[in-house]
Amino acid sequence: MLGSALAALALGLTTACGTSGPGADSDKAGVEVWMVEDASVNEVVQSAIDTYSKNAGIDGELVTYVNDAYKQRIQVALGSPESPDVFFNWGGGNLAQYVKANQVVDLTEAMEANPEFRDAFLPSVLDVAKIDGSYYGVPMQGVLPVVLFYNKKVFKEVGVEPPTTYSELLDLVDTFKKEGITPIVLPGAQAWTELMWLEYLTDRIGGAEVFQAIAEGKEGAWKDPAIIKALEMCQDLVERGAFGDNFSSLTSDNGSASTVLASGKGAMYLMGTWEISNQQEHNPDFLADGNLGFIAFPALEDGKGDPAAIVGNPSNYFSVNSDSDNVDEAIDFLVETMASDAYVEDLIEIGHVPAVAGIEDKLAETEHSEFTTFTYQLVAEAPSFTQSWDQAIPPAAAETMLTNLQLVFLGDMTPEEFAEAMEATQ
Amino acid sequence: MTSATTRVQRPGALWAAPALIFFGIFGLAPIVIVAGLSFTTWDGLGNPEWAGLHNWRTLPSDKLVGSGLMITLTLTVLTWATQTPLALAFGAWAAGPQRIRAVVSTIFFLPLLLSTAAIALIWQALLDPTFGLPAQWSELTGLSANVLGDPDLALWAIVFVLLWQFLPFHMLLYQAAAKQIPASLYEAAEIDGASPLQRFWRITVPQLRHTIIASSVLMIVGSMTYFETVLLLTGGGPGTATRILPLHMYLKGFSAFEMGYASAIAVLLVAVGTGLSLLVVRVSGYSQMTSEREGV
Amino acid sequence: MSTITARPAGEQAESVTPARSAKRSAARAGSRRVSRPAYGAGIGAAIWLVLVVVPLYFLIATSLRGSGDYLSAGPLSIPEEITLDAYRRAFEVGFLKFLTNSLIVAFGAIILVLAVALPAAFAIVRSKSRVVRIGFTLFLLGLAVPAQAVIIPIYLLITRLHLYDSLTAVILPTAAFALPVSIVVLTSSLRDVPSSLYEAMSLDGASNFQIFWNLVLPLSRSGVVTVTIFVGLNAWNNFLFPLVLTQSMDTRVLPLGLWEFQTQYGTDVPGLMAAVVLSALPVLALYLFGRRQLLSGLAAGIGK
Repeated sequence: MLGSALAALALGLTTACGTSGPGADSDKAGVEVWMVEDASVNEVVQSAIDTYSKNAGIDGELVTYVNDAYKQRIQVALGSPESPDVFFNWGGGNLAQYVKANQVVDLTEAMEANPEFRDAFLPSVLDVAKIDGSYYGVPMQGVLPVVLFYNKKVFKEVGVEPPTTYSELLDLVDTFKKEGITPIVLPGAQAWTELMWLEYLTDRIGGAEVFQAIAEGKEGAWKDPAIIKALEMCQDLVERGAFGDNFSSLTSDNGSASTVLASGKGAMYLMGTWEISNQQEHNPDFLADGNLGFIAFPALEDGKGDPAAIVGNPSNYFSVNSDSDNVDEAIDFLVETMASDAYVEDLIEIGHVPAVAGIEDKLAETEHSEFTTFTYQLVAEAPSFTQSWDQAIPPAAAETMLTNLQLVFLGDMTPEEFAEAMEATQ
Repeated sequence: MTSATTRVQRPGALWAAPALIFFGIFGLAPIVIVAGLSFTTWDGLGNPEWAGLHNWRTLPSDKLVGSGLMITLTLTVLTWATQTPLALAFGAWAAGPQRIRAVVSTIFFLPLLLSTAAIALIWQALLDPTFGLPAQWSELTGLSANVLGDPDLALWAIVFVLLWQFLPFHMLLYQAAAKQIPASLYEAAEIDGASPLQRFWRITVPQLRHTIIASSVLMIVGSMTYFETVLLLTGGGPGTATRILPLHMYLKGFSAFEMGYASAIAVLLVAVGTGLSLLVVRVSGYSQMTSEREGV
Repeated sequence: MSTITARPAGEQAESVTPARSAKRSAARAGSRRVSRPAYGAGIGAAIWLVLVVVPLYFLIATSLRGSGDYLSAGPLSIPEEITLDAYRRAFEVGFLKFLTNSLIVAFGAIILVLAVALPAAFAIVRSKSRVVRIGFTLFLLGLAVPAQAVIIPIYLLITRLHLYDSLTAVILPTAAFALPVSIVVLTSSLRDVPSSLYEAMSLDGASNFQIFWNLVLPLSRSGVVTVTIFVGLNAWNNFLFPLVLTQSMDTRVLPLGLWEFQTQYGTDVPGLMAAVVLSALPVLALYLFGRRQLLSGLAAGIGK
């Protein structure tokens, strides 16, 4: 899921191939940083490394790898002699796995020594890198919550308003269906887009605790009634025709889904905030005409969850490898750089919304200020920011989850069977 | 003669050693290692840990192993059943002396120039429900545009793409063989007043029986490698409708990082692959055929 | 066309000198008189012709479209305006890098295979050693091992050898899996050499090496061509080994590059199609200038 998110963030093709360049020179002392390939963010990090290296008089180096293979690469590298000093990760369960293997430096002490550094970050985002009460990672790029996009033009033509509650959403589904418009665009060829629906519905029904329990591996957590209910609601949406007839072959990878929304063939689209860069690249007119609408996921009338809660990708994180010969330099690099004005401004420049407090004014000056401000406030006011489940749980369980979720959406598996199968992975 | 042969220089085993060692390391040792790994848990991080029979106990309860095997075999049968008759008919047709046939068969061979990845990606774009052909034909005819997303259609779509990819190759085999059928056979049949269809059934097909067997063996043994097309075209979806066994192994290994368990599936795969090859060779009499030829 | 196309090249082994028999058959076919055309097959061939041409047209037409045109016009419409923009983008994404990597892998694998397979084939044909005979049987068994079944141990081996994410990591297993077929092909082309030739040379006091150099190499030329094409195509099209054994931009080969083109850069179908066209050009050139060798490398001699 992150793969596409990050790829989409690389705004233009033209800049997409310049910056990578693995070729770690292990002889030199210094800070080696590994992250996934993402042209625009790579540039920001590179410039931060250059600045820091010059000031501190050390050798800093950035090594990048393609997103899909990065996890595999880092798995092999950590614990081997060819490992980085600072490495990119997804926080949550992904990071916890390395923490369990004693491969990550506990940053709590450094945070306590520099409280202004710790407090610079939005708490809901920083907490994703908190494992067993200790901090192991620092947010290194923008927040990517999942929001409900809609086509303003289509809404106007049909004469309806965007939904604030779930029952309004259901009414809209019926309305659009009658109009011959696909109510909700769902690129179901990729299971992680279906997962977004499960994540939000679960959160609205039972609150953030439901998934928290799953992430902590509690027994019976997958059989929580909220999960079953949420899956039933997903199946109900499919049966209602909310996603149209072709959702299972629609993909987001080749950008079809974005264009279905922009062309007015679809009315709503639940997607991460990176969707704006997809639209920018593929349907610039749609974006320029101000037809891309966005709202928070609707409230569920009888749900326990806080309607302000969000799900998505809180951020990505930089962590320090405990095998590093340069632990102190690496920590110092993070503390000096990650919340610095220069770094934050560079991130904003490339369209990110950094997880740093008090940046409203800076965001107001950006190109899509309405959208970035909306995103920022959504995250700043969120009582919880649940990480995408496929990142938060171990890879083996995530693979099973995504496979089974597709079966649920196709109607080939019942919610109970899903819960049963997932419980077995705990 | 005996005294002469004793003096004849013969190369020793040393000449074959580099090939044997190299193939031993990268071709044969992996089979042993994979069997060993199937008794471990390994997540790619650190070292494999002994897990006894755990993976093998999990295997029978994994529904996707059973279904993966079924889909693999179904795909093998369907590709064979579609490719063989068409390759035979077109191959025999293309063997004719007419100039137009030569030109057309040159075009038929063009897919041979494209890699599996290229072919899968072309068809994925062509079968896109919104911007591809399905959108157009569903507007015209009302048929479903959901080709790759329909559990029943997706497998057929794969069969078709594989047909598109491999038909030229098998056609080539039949064409080459059909050209060697003595013209006198056809001339005699023509004098007897046999129709083209009769000539095809009475002369072409029997004359090509060895090619039919050889081509079938290649298709069936080769069907274990349809992995790439499936991965690129549907990723095993929708749901698990096209998740063939090799793909299931790949996803377990390199997406779920359960490499120990994936190794158990791989052992099963080796067994099925070898079993299938042996069965085909035995049933078809392929080995007798080749040994006959070797004797020549 | 991955390993499958390869196999038939192996079959050629079993028959006698493909080139010669092909020539013979062509002559015979020319003399054949067919008075009544086969309408059934003709109609079928016409339908298949459409099915072959339409995707190829789509491929070329799309590669010449602008991105916007692709999304608005139908897949088979004639491009409104022809632009080479998509090709420019394909180069920007790194097509030349992918091409270079693919060429290195192909030539690396070819050289490696020929270097070990030629002496082995010589030994198999001429040696009386039991080790060699058993070895040959092992190679034959190797024909049946599907590569993806052993991808995990190969991944383990490559990472333990610290070769992960290098072109060498791709070359080694690619060559190893091409070895059985190559040995079968070379062995059979050497079997065609009358043993009296070997004996005559050795009676003249030639060493094994001299026999190999002056007799085996020149006489196995057709086999070498076949093997070269077979190994080269296999390496060129291979997807699985690079997928699992490499990952950075620096080691990306063409088939993987095509795939990345799709997953990394969103909706640029014209760019992807341009890259596909470019990636097919080297094989197309081979087809145009060495059609006979290419096809014989693929299939010749498998018939009766």
